[in-house]
Amino acid sequence: MNNDDDLIEEGEGLAGRAQVAIVLTPDEQFAALLKSLWSPEILRFVVYEQGRAAIDLLFTDPPDLLVVDNRLADITGSEVASLVKSENVYRQLPVILCLDPGDMERAWDWTAVEMDDFLLRPLIPAEVKARIDLTMNRALRALDANPLTKLPGNTSIIQRIQLLIDRGEDFALAYCDLDYFKSFNDKYGFSRGDEVLMMSARVVVNTIKSFGGAKSFVGHVGGDDFVFIMSPDLVESACKQVVASFDAIVPQFYDLKDREQGCIVSTDRQGEVRTFPLMAVSIAVIFNRNKRLKHYGEASALAMSLKKKAKENPKSCYVLDQRESSL
Amino acid sequence: MAEDLKTEVKGMVLAVRDLPTLPTVLEEVSKLVENPDVSTDKIGKVISTDQVLTAKVLKMVNSPIYGFPGRISAINHALVLLGFNVIRGIIISTSVFDIMNQNMKGLWEHSLGCATAANTIARHADLDGPEEYSVSGLLHDLGKVVTAVQLPQMHTAIQEKVKEKDVTWLEAEKLVLGFGHNRINAWLADHWHLPNNIKEGMAYHHAPHLASNYPAMAATVHLADFLVKLYEYGFSGDDQVPPFNPEALTILKLRTSDLEKILDDLSDKFVEISDLSFEQ
Repeated sequence: MNNDDDLIEEGEGLAGRAQVAIVLTPDEQFAALLKSLWSPEILRFVVYEQGRAAIDLLFTDPPDLLVVDNRLADITGSEVASLVKSENVYRQLPVILCLDPGDMERAWDWTAVEMDDFLLRPLIPAEVKARIDLTMNRALRALDANPLTKLPGNTSIIQRIQLLIDRGEDFALAYCDLDYFKSFNDKYGFSRGDEVLMMSARVVVNTIKSFGGAKSFVGHVGGDDFVFIMSPDLVESACKQVVASFDAIVPQFYDLKDREQGCIVSTDRQGEVRTFPLMAVSIAVIFNRNKRLKHYGEASALAMSLKKKAKENPKSCYVLDQRESSL
Repeated sequence: MAEDLKTEVKGMVLAVRDLPTLPTVLEEVSKLVENPDVSTDKIGKVISTDQVLTAKVLKMVNSPIYGFPGRISAINHALVLLGFNVIRGIIISTSVFDIMNQNMKGLWEHSLGCATAANTIARHADLDGPEEYSVSGLLHDLGKVVTAVQLPQMHTAIQEKVKEKDVTWLEAEKLVLGFGHNRINAWLADHWHLPNNIKEGMAYHHAPHLASNYPAMAATVHLADFLVKLYEYGFSGDDQVPPFNPEALTILKLRTSDLEKILDDLSDKFVEISDLSFEQ
């Protein structure tokens, strides 16, 4: 058995470390095939001949992928899958079922059997590799995407920043958020707030895309916080454009009266009448040049302190990291 | 019987998939979107001269899939929100009228003229966002285009009725269909989630006093439509002098002296846009 508990080595996997897959199969050839397809620094397989033995480990230390052979003697593949998929904390774990042609003679109810994909014998090594890679990528995208805007979320953002840092590439990292979003939400309700977030996402995505560049990336941290990464030389023009487009479009999301008076008037819990300006976008930009940054944590800490500065201005604005200019 | 026809026509109208346009503007925009360095502003200026492309862009950006239906009425905002790929998709998927329908040229000129006039009126009447008034002016006869595409036989019947009875297009529509392009405009605007101000301009440009939320929009398009016909710029389907509702001037708080300034302004502008011919 190969269920050795070696420390996971650092690697170039999807999350910057080796991924772990648990394989439940009595078929030694299948296990050997899987192991031959990836270097263990990228995807390491832990093989169990019997299903039940692995369940404890599945729950206490869930892997990044589970491959279940339908030839298991002690438990069916669909039972293993439903054990995993019925629990919200394990749901995101991608599960692949390995079938024999005979298994396909009955129709599978894929709503009941929550698999992410299946492999069918006879196995073609290149196809097995492609399918497993694709399944893992798909699971990551689905898990991490913001449910509203469908933009990549925190995990992808962190990975992207760390990847660029590791490669020693120059990049600009911009954190955007909306001023007075909360007062808009309080007055108009969350579904009108969601409209503004969808609009903001489109403005940022299209602006960044229009500047081109393979390095560019847009993510949605959550709520009214967005992130974009792009070439340091273009970032200031991009910020100007995001600010201009946002300021031109956002008044359309207010009722006519508020748009005309240029603010929201509301009464707070103390009974005091307060006015809030129309929403604005604040952008804080930090730079990685000459391998200044070592870890994504540094990047986000820098950006957060800069964001406070951008927030001091009630109008839409951007602030570029001044420490950059001395470099 | 009349209700059955209305339901049937409505179904046909809303089923419109491929709304073709005239080749001139489409060719120009197609060239622009080939070049990734062209700004959306520049593309927007050209799209804003074509009622079908404008309608398609607004329909797209206001579709619920983008998450903010009914919010966007300005073409430049729409283009920023749609992005280059989607704009290119809209352009590529737009076809051109076949030869039989090429006599739409006059209607295109009339619509562009109305957009220009609406913009000028809005500026003189000191209204906010004159570009949105252009959009509504541009789209005010879209119902006629959709009828020509979806119900070609009825379109021909209306055309014949105009000649035979010597009436306006709207009157002929009412004789043939039982209702006019204003009603069709309202269906389209609702179905495509267009913003309410655009909808009221499209739906009430023959009866501005009936517009409940945006009377200034309806009054502007009403006056614009009247002036363009007065100048005989383009051809909206008939040679009649359209009835003018003076209430439009009251709604817009315009005096006769303002009207003279508007007319002066317009004669210059019509010379400018006449360079933009829809002739091939």
